Amino acid sequence: MTLPAFELFRPATLDEALQILAETPGAAPLGGGTCLLVDLRHRKRSVDALVDLGRIEPLRAIRIDDGALVLGAMATIADLLDSPQVMESAPVLHAACKTFAAPLVRNRATLGGNIAHASPAADAAPPLLALDAEVELQSPTGTRRLPMADFFLAPCQTARTDGELVTAIRIPISNGTPSWGYEKIGLRKADAISVVSAAAVRGQDGGTVRIALGAVAPVPIRARAAEERLGSGAWSAADIAEAARLAGEEARPIDDVRGSAAYRKRQAEILVRRCLKRVAEGGEARGA
Amino acid sequence: MLENVQPKPLPDVELPELHQVGKPLRRVDALGKAVGATEYAADFALTDMLHAKVLRSPVPSARIVRLDVSKARALPGVACVMTGDDTQGAKLNTDMPGQTGRAARTGSDAPVLATDSVRYVGEPIALVAAETVAIAERALELIEIEFEERPAVFDPQEAMKPGAPVLFEPDNVVARYKIRKGDLDAGMAEADVVVENTFSVPFIEHAYLEPDAGVAWVDGQGVINIRVCTQVVEHFRTVARALGVPQNRIRVRGTMVGGGFGSKEDVTVEIFLAFLARETGRPVKLVYTREEAFAATSKRHPFTITHRTGVKKDGRITATQISLVANSGAYPYLTPYVLLYATATATGPYKIDNVLVDSVAAPTNQTFTSAFRGFGAAQAAVAYEQQMDEIAKALGLDPLEVRRVNYLKTGDPTATGQAVKSAAWLEETATRALHALGERTEETPTRKIGRGFASYFQSYGRIMWFHDTSRAWVGVEQDGTAVIRCGVPDIGAGQSNSLCQIAAEILGIPLHQVTVYATDSAVTPLAGTSTATRQLYMSGNAVCTAATSIAARMKKRAAEKLGVSEDEIVLADGWARVGESPQAAIEMAELAKLCAGEGIALSELAQFNAPFVDGLDENGQGDIWPDFTFGAHAVEVGVDTETGQIELLKSAACHDVGRAINRSAVHGQIAGGSHQGLGYALMEDFSFRDGFIQTPSFAEYLIPTTVDLPATKVIILESGTGIGPFGAKGIGEPSLTPAAPAVANAVADALGVRVHDLPLTPERVLAALDRAREGSSSA
Amino acid sequence: MERKPIRLTVNERTHDVVCEPNATLLDVLRDLGYTDVKSGCEQGDCGACAVMLDGKAVNSCLVLAWQADGCGIVTNRGLGSMDAPHVIQEAFADSGGVQCGFCTSGMVIATKALLDRNPDPTEDEIREALSGNLCRCTGYGQIIGAVRLAAARLNDSGSSPASSQSEDGREADSASRLRVSGDASPHGGEGREPDPTDHVPASDRAAKDDGEASSLREEGREHNPADHVPVFDEQADGGDGAC
Repeated sequence: MTLPAFELFRPATLDEALQILAETPGAAPLGGGTCLLVDLRHRKRSVDALVDLGRIEPLRAIRIDDGALVLGAMATIADLLDSPQVMESAPVLHAACKTFAAPLVRNRATLGGNIAHASPAADAAPPLLALDAEVELQSPTGTRRLPMADFFLAPCQTARTDGELVTAIRIPISNGTPSWGYEKIGLRKADAISVVSAAAVRGQDGGTVRIALGAVAPVPIRARAAEERLGSGAWSAADIAEAARLAGEEARPIDDVRGSAAYRKRQAEILVRRCLKRVAEGGEARGA
Repeated sequence: MLENVQPKPLPDVELPELHQVGKPLRRVDALGKAVGATEYAADFALTDMLHAKVLRSPVPSARIVRLDVSKARALPGVACVMTGDDTQGAKLNTDMPGQTGRAARTGSDAPVLATDSVRYVGEPIALVAAETVAIAERALELIEIEFEERPAVFDPQEAMKPGAPVLFEPDNVVARYKIRKGDLDAGMAEADVVVENTFSVPFIEHAYLEPDAGVAWVDGQGVINIRVCTQVVEHFRTVARALGVPQNRIRVRGTMVGGGFGSKEDVTVEIFLAFLARETGRPVKLVYTREEAFAATSKRHPFTITHRTGVKKDGRITATQISLVANSGAYPYLTPYVLLYATATATGPYKIDNVLVDSVAAPTNQTFTSAFRGFGAAQAAVAYEQQMDEIAKALGLDPLEVRRVNYLKTGDPTATGQAVKSAAWLEETATRALHALGERTEETPTRKIGRGFASYFQSYGRIMWFHDTSRAWVGVEQDGTAVIRCGVPDIGAGQSNSLCQIAAEILGIPLHQVTVYATDSAVTPLAGTSTATRQLYMSGNAVCTAATSIAARMKKRAAEKLGVSEDEIVLADGWARVGESPQAAIEMAELAKLCAGEGIALSELAQFNAPFVDGLDENGQGDIWPDFTFGAHAVEVGVDTETGQIELLKSAACHDVGRAINRSAVHGQIAGGSHQGLGYALMEDFSFRDGFIQTPSFAEYLIPTTVDLPATKVIILESGTGIGPFGAKGIGEPSLTPAAPAVANAVADALGVRVHDLPLTPERVLAALDRAREGSSSA
Repeated sequence: MERKPIRLTVNERTHDVVCEPNATLLDVLRDLGYTDVKSGCEQGDCGACAVMLDGKAVNSCLVLAWQADGCGIVTNRGLGSMDAPHVIQEAFADSGGVQCGFCTSGMVIATKALLDRNPDPTEDEIREALSGNLCRCTGYGQIIGAVRLAAARLNDSGSSPASSQSEDGREADSASRLRVSGDASPHGGEGREPDPTDHVPASDRAAKDDGEASSLREEGREHNPADHVPVFDEQADGGDGAC
């Protein structure tokens, strides 16, 4: 099946890309293409033009800057898996990347693309939410940053305006490695869209925990009530169980071909409990 | 239970020494495929070629009110558009008389292109041939079509109720069978306990990696050539009928098939291509998209199977009553035969004197169902092996013990009264598969461990009233190399390699010096379908016969030359030798030249006939197949009791293959066939909602990846009692049959409660656990 | 849509191609004659279309041809041919890891990508690396065996055999040897079970008794000094001492 017709721009710089976006209505940015090209092929989306960001090397950089781990939007999932900084400062994201699609797709799929596509089941989203990450958006008129939680508006809809590009994701780095937990349920162990996923992160200082859920709401969400219930300080098993129950209530999933709403709600509680248990234990590495 | 199982000792078997047969030699097709040189159907291109696309119904049940292709025809770059009118209402016979000379069943026709109505999503309505794929796609968009939706039916039981839309005249009964053996009531009266269960299995997609594809052109003789990936070269007859031309005016050139598993047993692209090539006078290529391969080709039949079994306290079955209902989908295709297989194997590999089986297949407005590895016997096994475990549970007996008490032995009759003639190593295979699971994995609070196994029997060779035959030509060249010409389609299991390895053994020529030319209806002797686990048996025997004749003539001439008697000559390693002595010997090349110069025939065309019978009597009694393969699969699972997820921890399969021609290929068939069965149990479900496909691609229809399942330990037994070459049986379908019920049994063992419907999804597992908890808390 | 000339270097050959923006690398490669690159799903789920793109294994169905302009592409055919197969290709052919063959080109590319990064992978690492390549014929066991065989052969320097750790930490027996064609061991005895010492090298060529290590171990299988190549998981009956 051929892709629909579109113009294709391949700017060499970010400024060029922004200019093209500004001047070309109906143009969409192209990251790894692993979602967008599939949607185009199935005629689920239609664009007049694509702006391929693949030539803009600086967008791929992973660096530490001003107390934050800055992940370029065009860093591929494979880049993230290879990055010692991601491994050290954001192991929960690293864990999610390991369960992301499959190796061949990971060599093309980008973090920015995953976030900007904004599927409710986006694998990178719960870890980034739990890391209190920010999205950096640039337009011809300047740069702004948005908390990840404010970036997702609805299924496949974000706060990015047409003239903007997601250029980076910034993760605040705390002292020492945080405790974390990550869980994903898929119907098989590779190349599986999440039925439910959960991430929890707590700083070394034992402050408040951040809990996030994926595939259980129109957007990836923070389980705020659960977080508040736990507060800071030590948790008992009862605290964890209660927080998990609250997280389950915050989940508002739908039925689809991968699972029923009832199952997802139930598993949201179970996965959050498992994540919190790992956090309490000091967060050893965990895959899906 | 099911631990520390000791393998049952095997009887003494003396199998003759062989030089090449039995060895894991590199297959003749392996390197070409490994380096990417082998060409598949979609890899062919001709000059001046057009690209075809098919317009397919987007709705499951409707009358076609208006069909206007004029805008499509007018699009620049479109060479032709054809509708049912243009094909003069051509019919596709979905039955398979073409291979057997039998008459097709009435009512088994489907329109090549729908004209007045459509009855499943994906039904073909129009054909386009254009200069490029993109133009052909655009042309499809320009076809105007109006539908008037009609009532639809999606469940076979509903289809048989009065008032249901009629998809098969007159009463939606596509096929019906019964078995009446012994006295059911007497048998039930004798029983100590009666156990009843109902099981169901869903539509399954073959999911071969190669989407259906082909290229057709009209050659200088006016013969329509069709290059196509197919399991059946003899479809040239079906194509000829649809086009209204004589059978010798269609040539099917089959390619190496990138997986078939029964789906490519049906006609797929052939008739479309033939029409377009004839209409345009140009070569035409058609390659299905993955979504098209899913929607437009056959599926495995869903079944609902109910078992009601009377048993004695010691586990002996005194009577069994089974009912099967199959979903035929929108058109009959091979439903009658699938239903027959399921009916005749419904009792399992057990000796039961009092049997009553009733089966029926009814149509629905969903994708048509047809052949899929196992062909009804696989579905039957899902039910009968779960029932055996339920019987064991009801009696408080070891599941293996219940099998032991009932297993068929050589000489015993099946449910249709057919005596098992070959070795029936049921206990031998079951105990080995279980033994291979080793030490039981430890349970944790949230992960329950369970073990299960399944025994089975599966036929090899076709239904004997099809009067199946196969032909092969073998020849020795003047340099001592050999050639085989055989119509056999190679669908990846090593069908063509086995023929080479057999010929190599008999002629004493190294395997790499045997070349096979296959799968061309015009120039290779017709060998029948690559289905029904028949090719090794049928074409293998034909090659055996041909090669043996040639070998006999060559040995005779060599004996004369060396001054010894014929039976002292051994053909091996490219030489004709006296015994194993290197002194008295002639190189095959020299011997071949000698024979050729003297007019001694160095080639032979042989035909192998399966036994022919007439059919079953009105009680479903009679012989059906040439023989059976027996074996078992065992697994250990871990079930997460909170998420319901099942992890397959260990998997082992043991089959008596009679004789392995190529060990590596046999291993591959067992490992691969069982893998499909494991997927059947755990994650595969081609689902519909109101006739609309919910799993249209590999993103929704999940088959196992490398990280989902452990490798299956493969244990190959060789009784030498098969009726194929060198005592071989068949393994292609048998390998799949026991895997899914083994998993279902293991999960039931882990949970203490059974999920009766496949696949065993996490949600179903949790629902079963919840029911069990509620049950025990209310007790 | 405006077509544009692009330059693709495929298997070290340069191609100047003119194509539309919406042409995928998969379609362009196949049109150029690289039909070893297979179309299986056109959406990145099956891996049959895998190629190396500037050294990274990718699904070519998800790369627009223009995005590959100026890049180096390697397809399965670029690694070897019938006359001179790559070690990886030969290992697939020898190990039973090729049945219908349609997934094979993609598997070889994924294997190349793995072994380039990790010359001595564990079974888990192999499975992980190939988890984006679907196979419906083999059940993957012999494909995993092919990768291990390829790794063993690539690592073998000809002097001392490479030893590698198996899942349970035991070292492979470096005394394993390829056996020569024709030395069929006697059969018979109780029943008829495969004797694991009864084997030949996968090809009919003269034996290479060069001390290749057998680091071939399927999950859970007992190591046997008579382990042979090609590998496929076969467990002999413990009852009659054949193992």
